[in-house]
This record gives sequence, structure tokens and C-alpha cells, in this order.
Amino acid sequence: MSGAADAHRQPHRWIASERLGYAEICAAIADPIQKRGPGRAWMIAFLGVLPFVLLTLGAIGAVLTVGIGLSGVNTTVVWGFSIANYVWWIGIGNAGTLISSMLLLTRQHWRASINRFAEAMTLFAAAIAGIFPIIHLGRPLYAYWLAPYPNTMDLWPQWRSALVWDFWAILSYLLFSLIFWFTGLLPDLATLRDRAQTRFGQRVYGALAFGWRGSARHWALYETFHKTMAALAVPLVCSVHSIVGLDFAASLMPGWQESIFPPYFVVGAMYSGFAMVVLLAIIIRWGLKLQAVITPAHFDAMAKVMLFASLVMTVSYATEWFMGWYGGEHADRSVIAFFFTGDYRWLYYSLLFCNCLVPQALWFSRIRLNLWALAIISVVINLGMWLERILIVWNTLSHGYAVSLWRSYHVSLYDVVILLAPLGLFAFGFLVLARIFPIVSIHEVSQIAHDEGAAKGKAA
Amino acid sequence: MPPLIPPSRREALRLLGAGITLAAGGCSKPVEEIVPYVRAPEQLLPGVPVRYATALSLSGWARGVQAIAVDGRPIKIEGNPLHPASLGATDVFAEAAILDLYDPDRSRTVTERVNGIASWDMFERALSAPLASVRGAGGRGLHLVTGRVTSPTLARQIDALLRALPEAVWHVHEPIDEANAARGAELAFGRPLRALPRLDRAETILCVGADPLGPDPDQIRLARAFSERRRDPARFGRLYVAEAALTLTGIKADARRALHPVDQLALLAAIANALGAGLSAPELPEEARRFARVAAADLTEHEGRALVLAGPALSPEAHALAHWINARLRAPVDYIAPPDRIEGRTPASLADLAGALDRGSVTCLAILGSDPVASAPADLDLARRIERARFSVHAGLHGDETAGATHWHLPLTHELESWSDLRATDGTASVVQPLLRPLYDGRSLHEILPIFAGRTATAGYALVRETWKDRGGADFEAWWRRSLHDGVIEGSAAPLVDPGEPRLPALPEIRRQEGLTVELRPDPCLWDGRFANNAWLQECPKPISKQVWGNALALSRKEAGRRGIEAGDVVRASAGGRAIEVPVVIESGIAEGVGVLTLGYGRQRAGAIGNGIGADAYGLSTQDTPSLLTGIELARTGKSETILRTQNEVQVEGETEKLFRQIDLAALARAEPKGIGDDQPTLLSPWKSDADGHAWAMVIDTNACIGCNACVLSCQSENNVPVVGPEEIARGRMMHWLRVDLYDAGGSEAPRAGFQPVPCMHCEHAPCEPVCPVAASVHDGEGLNLQVYNRCVGTRFCEANCPYKVRRFNFFGYADGQPYANLGAESVRAQRNPNVTVRARGVMEKCTYCIQRIASERQAAERDGREMGAVATACQSACPTQAIRFGDLAKPGNAIAELRKDPRHYALLEELNTRPRTTYLANLRDPHPDLKEDHA
Repeated sequence: MSGAADAHRQPHRWIASERLGYAEICAAIADPIQKRGPGRAWMIAFLGVLPFVLLTLGAIGAVLTVGIGLSGVNTTVVWGFSIANYVWWIGIGNAGTLISSMLLLTRQHWRASINRFAEAMTLFAAAIAGIFPIIHLGRPLYAYWLAPYPNTMDLWPQWRSALVWDFWAILSYLLFSLIFWFTGLLPDLATLRDRAQTRFGQRVYGALAFGWRGSARHWALYETFHKTMAALAVPLVCSVHSIVGLDFAASLMPGWQESIFPPYFVVGAMYSGFAMVVLLAIIIRWGLKLQAVITPAHFDAMAKVMLFASLVMTVSYATEWFMGWYGGEHADRSVIAFFFTGDYRWLYYSLLFCNCLVPQALWFSRIRLNLWALAIISVVINLGMWLERILIVWNTLSHGYAVSLWRSYHVSLYDVVILLAPLGLFAFGFLVLARIFPIVSIHEVSQIAHDEGAAKGKAA
Repeated sequence: MPPLIPPSRREALRLLGAGITLAAGGCSKPVEEIVPYVRAPEQLLPGVPVRYATALSLSGWARGVQAIAVDGRPIKIEGNPLHPASLGATDVFAEAAILDLYDPDRSRTVTERVNGIASWDMFERALSAPLASVRGAGGRGLHLVTGRVTSPTLARQIDALLRALPEAVWHVHEPIDEANAARGAELAFGRPLRALPRLDRAETILCVGADPLGPDPDQIRLARAFSERRRDPARFGRLYVAEAALTLTGIKADARRALHPVDQLALLAAIANALGAGLSAPELPEEARRFARVAAADLTEHEGRALVLAGPALSPEAHALAHWINARLRAPVDYIAPPDRIEGRTPASLADLAGALDRGSVTCLAILGSDPVASAPADLDLARRIERARFSVHAGLHGDETAGATHWHLPLTHELESWSDLRATDGTASVVQPLLRPLYDGRSLHEILPIFAGRTATAGYALVRETWKDRGGADFEAWWRRSLHDGVIEGSAAPLVDPGEPRLPALPEIRRQEGLTVELRPDPCLWDGRFANNAWLQECPKPISKQVWGNALALSRKEAGRRGIEAGDVVRASAGGRAIEVPVVIESGIAEGVGVLTLGYGRQRAGAIGNGIGADAYGLSTQDTPSLLTGIELARTGKSETILRTQNEVQVEGETEKLFRQIDLAALARAEPKGIGDDQPTLLSPWKSDADGHAWAMVIDTNACIGCNACVLSCQSENNVPVVGPEEIARGRMMHWLRVDLYDAGGSEAPRAGFQPVPCMHCEHAPCEPVCPVAASVHDGEGLNLQVYNRCVGTRFCEANCPYKVRRFNFFGYADGQPYANLGAESVRAQRNPNVTVRARGVMEKCTYCIQRIASERQAAERDGREMGAVATACQSACPTQAIRFGDLAKPGNAIAELRKDPRHYALLEELNTRPRTTYLANLRDPHPDLKEDHA
């Protein structure tokens, strides 16, 4: 690791500039929100994503009024883009909490500058992911029947169903992400309150800061609470995607009924999640001019995680093939053969290319430190991971036990819209957030600056 | 805005009064007049289904049915066990007739071509002038066109009309008319005879182009006889089939050859020669020669129990030759005088009509209940010629193509709305009784015909009773009631006649022609096109191609490859200046140089459902060769179409062959019954869902199944299964609760195939149940797997996890708010079974084992204080071969438990430990040892 940092020739690994003091850190992060206007780039981006937001809303409105028949799902392949998108977005959501919690617990201090937006990413991604299982339903208005609420019919959810587990997994994950993100935000909200230029700002940030005064007692409580939550987050991160994996594994369809699914889904989620963090970090670093706090060493570290995840995924795929063959079940073998020879074979080859082959470039530090290359690889990984999810759905359903009903999926316009438009919704969330809350943690970066000995002057 | 001033006292009071009046008016009774039963009709119990015996026609021939009506509304057709052409079963056409009744496109009033809507009075006035001139000339200039007439009443009326107007001409046009068979019988016996093959007695059968098990007015009778005999392994016999392309009979064959129609005659000649006919030896390919040799040996060996059948596309000489062979074999064939003749009258043909029209000698043309413009051979060009009639009128259910060409159109009543009588293929007569008043302003043919005789309108009821007055004897009313109740007129079957020795016909010189030979067949769903506007039939998968919403020219893989045509390519098929554009489908088991196309599609004025669907095969046919076209040129158009099918994969091999168990007859003795896998170890809790005293189960005999689809339509009719339409089919969606799978374990040129109806398996360990998050998929206490529609939220996990893929999802509100085309019309809704929920958008549905029928029987048993009797599911009751059996495993001595011990018994995918309640009996076949390489 040090080699990469050395290669970049900077005095401190996780803080780029020598000139940055606590006040400057504060100013660098808070001023764009409080003192400067949105700026041209922000406005352009905002107007650019707005149609996507409207498109998302339009698609949701259409599917609620016209019916799920708008999607390309059919009698045999009853699941489609909604499910794949759901798994993909949940996967994206995973990395945020992972970075915040696992790295916090393992004292990876470099996380300080990226954890805030990684957590925000989690929040938005999980929220967007939560839309899909609902709009995928035939009767979305009754989605709440999955919740155990007392009712006159004395009916409860059917607890054996993985979908009920999933309901809880998403719900708890979403709530947890919100609280965790907000907890980390508290000291910064107080900072914003103190630096607010207007009465309105003071009041709003003041209310949100819950009376944070930065006393030693506050900090002690904060540290305990935040670390405890982080400790809770780790099993939650694993559980949420394991349970998503169980949506498939707790069935009896060939290609789904595999014990490898839960871990394989967790790793896959981290894989795509990290790729998304890298992409966002590159964009935010450029957009908010945060070169000082998000350094090449960050990218280097994340790229290595991605490389590792890529290897795990490759091994997982290979395990799937091997076990399919070794298990000796005709149906399993038939589905594995269908991966390579069936209707979706080109997509499957693309998935292997994206997820297994391309990330091998990350063995080279020159690639890891080249942001353009990293951005492209991240996009490719996310594409590959989406393909993986849709192929898990398509391959098994298209080629199940009933030979007479083998058929393939027909992608509809609605499918394309709900695939692409929510990306705009996601960006929209970020753009709004960047104008309201510090997108990088002020107090944690200050901490790191202190630890690295890069800080000048007094704490803000 | 006017200035706001407080209302004066008067105004305030007025407003107050108006308010009170409005409030009172808002609560008042509806303005429409509603009439309660002041005196309730006797025996009409609200909500209790009533059955009426009646008959439905197919190409004029009757199939006896029982129509079920609820509150005066017919909702379902079932077979009439007493009727020889039904035997309690139905076919697709009978099942679908109920939808025809409610077809929103039915014509509702008399129309005149220029002025549109008219009335019966206006028609009679318009008719008076041409009728007067015709009558003055003793009937000259009056031309009647009807379909096949088996109705004694109609025959009597036509006879009376022709007697009064001796110069009038009666033409009969029946698109699928068995003309070759009729001419062949005349050729052989010197007089018109109808042959009724006895498949129950014939054991060794050779079908040359014939499809006795295929769609036909006689399908039920023949299929029942065939399958009943085959239930006994000792009388299994062997079925040889030589045909141009796979038919339902071909699927059941023990030995089958794909044979060009030209060679089919040669094959018959070879068989005849083996029996000593001494005909000039015809050329046959080596393979076919061996087939002929083996078949001839087998036939002669089973003399007295052997039978040869010739196909409708074969020439009259071939039919005569088949009669000659059958006489040599002492084949079990009954002969009767054709029941569709009027004694002493030979109807003229459409060609005669065309001639008369060309001569300009047609003063008054009445086309009654027939659609010759759509279904006549193209070279007659009737649409143009009808213009030359001075006065023309068409009577029909729809304002169809013929209605478009005539001056007047009269709406006919449906068979379920009118009094009539019909004869079955064996001559048995039935009275057709109406179940409801005509929905629209229609009249029956019996009521229309007197108009042409210048007589006043008489009710159909009186006319039909008049016909049978003599027959009824002294106590006519009792006789009449019994006939109506039974649905058959006792002793009305045609007497068997001794045909005498058939002559050996002289065979015509036949040569193979250049170009493609195309065999036109009746469509297994639309028949001759008369059912084109029936959405159930349009969406009913064709038994072999599984195509829906359209037809296609079927070619063999080799033939298509040779011509550089791929499946789905639209080709221009032309001959003699006639041409149609039709997509190509590639099928297995088709002879070289042959294409097969079904009739009835490409209609222009069928209605909202049938218009423009498929290609019009009549556009290629000619008067001389209505069903076998030679010298067809195929040219690619560069266009292609998706062939809409409900099953894409047919081939099974290796492990997947287990889906469709097939046993050779020789190995049957060694076969062991296979269980449902309940002997396997499991971690699941012990089975206890039969606690309520019943354990429903179904066993389906794939050996008896002929793939006719009657069960599919019966289920659709019984269970309010919606139609999804071609666009949805193209997206891979369908709603049939019961599908008939076709599996083929042979090669593409030598099919070894069979049918497998697949309803819900009602698994004991149902994979759909644990995955449903809201417990919409649950088991009841009688072993039924239930779907609770109003609890379903539509996650579709159940269907994803169903290994049999039997669940169906309402992606749109197919039955409820988002119907296909005009199927949401008020009249269509009247067909729905009130005992079955109409499913909303977004819910999953599936086969329930007709739980409403179980419930009805339970209620009846509880009411009467007795044990529950037998329950028949809709699919079971429709099945012509009784392949589907349903019953209660918990009942001591039940037949289902016995069937589960049959050596052919097996369960689908029993290795998954789902323990299905629907199980199967394996398909049997008895290939000849010398022809076994077929199946390699």
C-alpha cells in the first residue's frame, strides 16, 4: 500500500494537502453549502437528472394504473427487471454501511472522507431498492400485507416465505442506515449550525443537531453509540443480502436452490457497492473539489477490495458450475449448460467478461491510480453485476423442469425505463443532499488530519 | 358575477323546497322498471344450475349436448351420455358454442346493404317483388343455398318449397364436405352410402391419410371406441398411419410413415395387391414398400378385426379401393344410407350456382346459414358473381363475407336460442331446444324458409313438432317430453344396410407434379372458418403445432431447408394465378414435397376477434381439388412473422424423457407402478391435510389422451378463464389452467410423441405454499392446494417455484377491466359461471380441481343426508376418451386408488418430493418389430 502512496508523492496518505488546517477543512466542506451558490455544474446536473426523476415517477404511475403487464414478465419467467434491479440496488446500498462500519471497526481511518457519502449512497440505494419489490407486485396496494399488523381477519404473514424475511431485512436495513447516517452527521450538523449565515439555517441545523455542543461527554456517548451501531451493522449488512440470496435459494428451482447463494450474494453486493462508491467518489471529488480529502490512496485501497471481490465472485461462479456438474442432477446440469448455450448466452459471456476478466486490470497500480480507468472499470463491474442478477432470474425461470413451458423473456419499454431512470433519481438525491448536508464528514476528516499530523491551527 | 344579495323569504323557501325534493329524489327507486317473479316459473330455483338436453351441429351433423343454465342463462356445454355422437363427452367446438351464443359481433337486426338497419317487415316487402316473379315462373330463378341439411324439419320444409316451386334450385355448400368419401362409396357400391367404421372392433387399423381421431363431427364416437378397446392390452392391436403430416391419429400410431398424398394411393394399391387385387404395381419408395408389406401382413393376419381408412384428401377411387380392401378383410364397418339427403332430391353444387349467376338467370338468391363467399374455392369468385343476382339475401349468425355481398342480411338465431332438430352421423335424430329467448332480433332457418314459400311466419316450435307428429304416436306429448329430456329420439338411428360386394375401381393415372403439394385440412380450432370469431378457439393451441391466433404452412425441415425458408418466413404461395401470403412453420413428420395448411383463417368479416387473423387457405383452392393442391409455387416475400405458440420445446431426450413415460406393449408385463415419491425420506412434517375426510386425486391416462383440447376449453368455460389475445401470447403469457403438452422422444423425422394434459398437480408438499409471503397459496383439509384470490398480492413466487409451471398470472385485468378486443362486452359476461370468482388484475390463479363442483356435491349430499357421490371435473366430463379420472382416495374401494396401482402409473418429477395428487398413466405403443427402426 505504501508503494502506491509513495508513487503519488504526498506527505500524508489520507490527506493530500500540507496547507489544510481544521478551519480550512471545515471551510472546504461547509462553505460550498453555506456560502456559495449551487454553481453552474450543479444546476446543469440538476436539470439533467430531473427528466429521469419524472420518468421514474411516470413509470411507477403507469405500472400502478395499467398493471405489471407493462413489464416483460411472462407466464414462465414471472420475475424480471424489477427483481434484478432490486437486488442490484440493495447491493449498491450494501457497500456504504460496510465502509462505515467494517472499516470503522477495523480502524481503517482512511474511510473518514468517503464514509459520509457512502452512507448516503446506502440510504438512497436502499430506498430505491425498496420501490422495486412493491411495483413488481401484481397488487402493489396490498404490499402492506407482508407486515404483521393486527387485523380483523386474524391473518398474519406466512413466515416460511423468504419474501417475508426479505421484507424485514429491507425494512430494518433501511431504518438502520438512516439512523447510522444521521448519528454520524450530528457533530457536523452542529458545525453547520454554528457557521450558519441565516437565522433559518441556524434554526433548521440547530433542530437537527439535537443540541450537540461538542462536550467531552457528548463525544464519549457519541463514540460508544456510533461504534455499537457499527458493530450491529456488520451482521445486518451480511443478513440483508444473505436474505436476498435466500429469496432464490429457498426454492426448489435448479440454479437457485444452492447453498452458496447467501455468501455469494453478500460478496456480490460488496463488489458492486464498492464499484459504485469509487464512481461516486470520483465524481464528488471532482464536483466539490475535494482532492484534498479524497486522495489517490483511497482509490488504491478500494480498488484492491474490488479486485479481491472479483476473485471471490469468479470462484463462486466456478463453484456453481462445478457443483452443478458434480451434484449429478440433470436439471442443474441442464441449467448450467443453458448459461453457456441458451438464449442469454451472450449476456452470460458479457457478465463473465465484466465481473471476472476486466477487474483483473486492478492488479496493476497504474490502473488503480488512474481515475479514468477506475471509473470505467467501476461502471463495467456494475453492469456485470446487474447482468448477473437478471441472469439469475432469467436462466432458471426460462429453463426449469417443465420442458413444455421453456420460454425466454421479452424486454419491454417499461423495463428499460425502470432500469435507467432510477439512476437519475439516485443522482437527484445526491445533488439535493450535497446542497444541504456536508457530503464529507468534517469531524472525522479533522480527526484524520490530526492523526496524520497534517493539521495546522486549532480545531474548528 | 351577480352581486351577492341575501335571498328574499320566497327565494329562501323555494331553495329549501328544491333541496328537500332533490334529497328525496336522490333516495328514490331507480326509474327502470324491475319485474320480480310474481309467479315464479316452476322448477326454476335461483342459483341452481339446470341442464337441458339439446344438440349442436358441426358441418350439419349433430352432437348431443346438455346445456347448463343458471337463472335462465346458459353458461356451459356438457356432453349428453345418451347421444351416440357425444357419449357424455364434448369436443372443442361444442364447448366453444356457448361463447358463440354471447358473441358481441353477432348480427342483431335485419340489414339492407345501402340503407343499413331494417326490419323483418321491410325485408318481406322487398322480397315480395322478386318472389312474385319467381313464383310466376314456377320457381325458376329462385336459388337456395344451405349448408349440409340433416334436420328433418328443414329437409321437410325445403322439400315442400321445392315441390311448390319445382323450378327452384337448391344448392348445398359445405366447405368440409366429405365429397371424396361419398363419391368413393358410390363408386364402390353403386349407390350413396355412409361408412361408419367400428374402431371398437377393429384392432389392426391402417389409416392412409385418414384422421379418425382428429377434429370431426364423429371424433368423439371414434376416439371413444378406439381408446376403450385399447384399455385392454389384449385388444390393443396396432395402428398403422401413413399421412402427409402429423395428425392426432398419427401421434397415436404404433407405426407411422410420412407419405406424399400421391404415394398414399399407391400404398392403398399395394395393400390391395397383397390381397389379390392385381392392380398395376404402383411405384413406391423402398421404405414405404416395406411399410405396406408389414401392414398388409398384419391386416390379413387379423382378418375380421382389421380395417383400412382413406383420408378425405384422397381421390374417390382411393376411397373405393379402401372399401374393396375392407370387404376383403371383412372389416368391421357399418353402412347406412347417408342421413343428410332429402329423398329424391340431389342438391346442386356451388359451381351450378356460379353458372346460373353468369347466365343472369338468378332472380332471387337466398343463402341460408352458410358463408360461401368466405369458404368457397377461390376460382368460383362468388363475391363478384353474387352481384349478378337480381335479389340476394343472406341469413347468418354474423354479418360475414357473404352478408357483405348480398343485398339483404337476416340475423339467425343461435342453436341455443331456437327450436330445431338435427341428425348425428349415424342418423340418430335429436330435438334442438332453446335455452333462452333470442338475444337479438333473429329467427331460425325454419322460421325464415316459409317466407320464401310466401307463407306467414310460423314459430319454429310448431314446425319441429309438426315434423315429428306422426313419429310420436298416440301419446305425443309424453313422447315429445321424453325426446326432449333424453336429447335423442328413440330408434331414429339409420338402419344398417348390406352394401353388397364393392367393385374394384380402376385407378387413375397419377403422376407426381412439379412444385409443392399442399394438403388443406380442417382447422382443429376454427374448423372451416365458421368459428373464426370465437376467442376461445382462436386461443386454443392447435394440438400438434401448438399455434394460436393464426395458421401457417407446415413444411418439413428438409423441405424448408431445400427452399431456403426458415420458420416464420412469410411466403407467397401461388398456383394458377391464385396466391396467398402465409408464414411457414417447420414441423416434424411431414413428407417431402408436401405442405399442410389449415382452413378457416384470413377472414375479412368475421368480427372483432377473427378479422385478419392468419392466411385464407380457400384463396388457393379450386373446385376440382378443394383439399389437395398440386403445383404450388413458394416465393419468399422477405417478411417474417412470429409464429405464436404456447409450447416451444417438444423434444425430450435422456432425463427429460421421464416427463413423458412411454412403454412398449411388450414391456408392459414387466412394468412396475411408480409412486408419488412418498416412500422417500423427508424432513417435512407428516402429511395430514386430508383430515376432513376426503383426499381428492386425479389420474390422467396419457395413452387414452388424443390431444383434442376439449378439456382445455371445458376448463376455460367452467372456470371463467379469460382470453389474453395475440399480443399477450407473443409476450409469452397465457391463462389456460389446463394445458396439453406434446412431448416427442423420437427424431424429427420419426416422431414418437404423445399428449400430456397438465393441470395443477395439487402437490401434497406443494412448493408454491411455503414461498407465498401472505399465505394465499394454502392447503385445505381435503388435499386440495388452494389459491385465495383476494389474499394474493401478486409476488408470483409461487409460479417461479412451481416445477410444473401450472400457475397463471393476471398480468393485466384480462377478465376484469382490461379484456382483449370486445370480450368485455356485457353479453360475454353473461357466460360466466356464477360459482367461480372472476379474477382481478394482479392475482395468481390455477386449476382448483373444480372446487365449485366438489362444493355443489357436498351441499347436495348434506342436504339429502347421504354420502358424497362422484364429482366430475370439467376436464374429465369433456374428455371423449375418458383419459381424465378424478376421485376421492379416502373413499374405500375408489377407482383412483386402483389406477394408482396400474403398472403404467407414474408421477411427474416425483424425485422433487412434491408428492403430486395429479398423476399419470404411461403412454403405450406397440411398434412392429420389423418397423422398429422408425423410432431409432
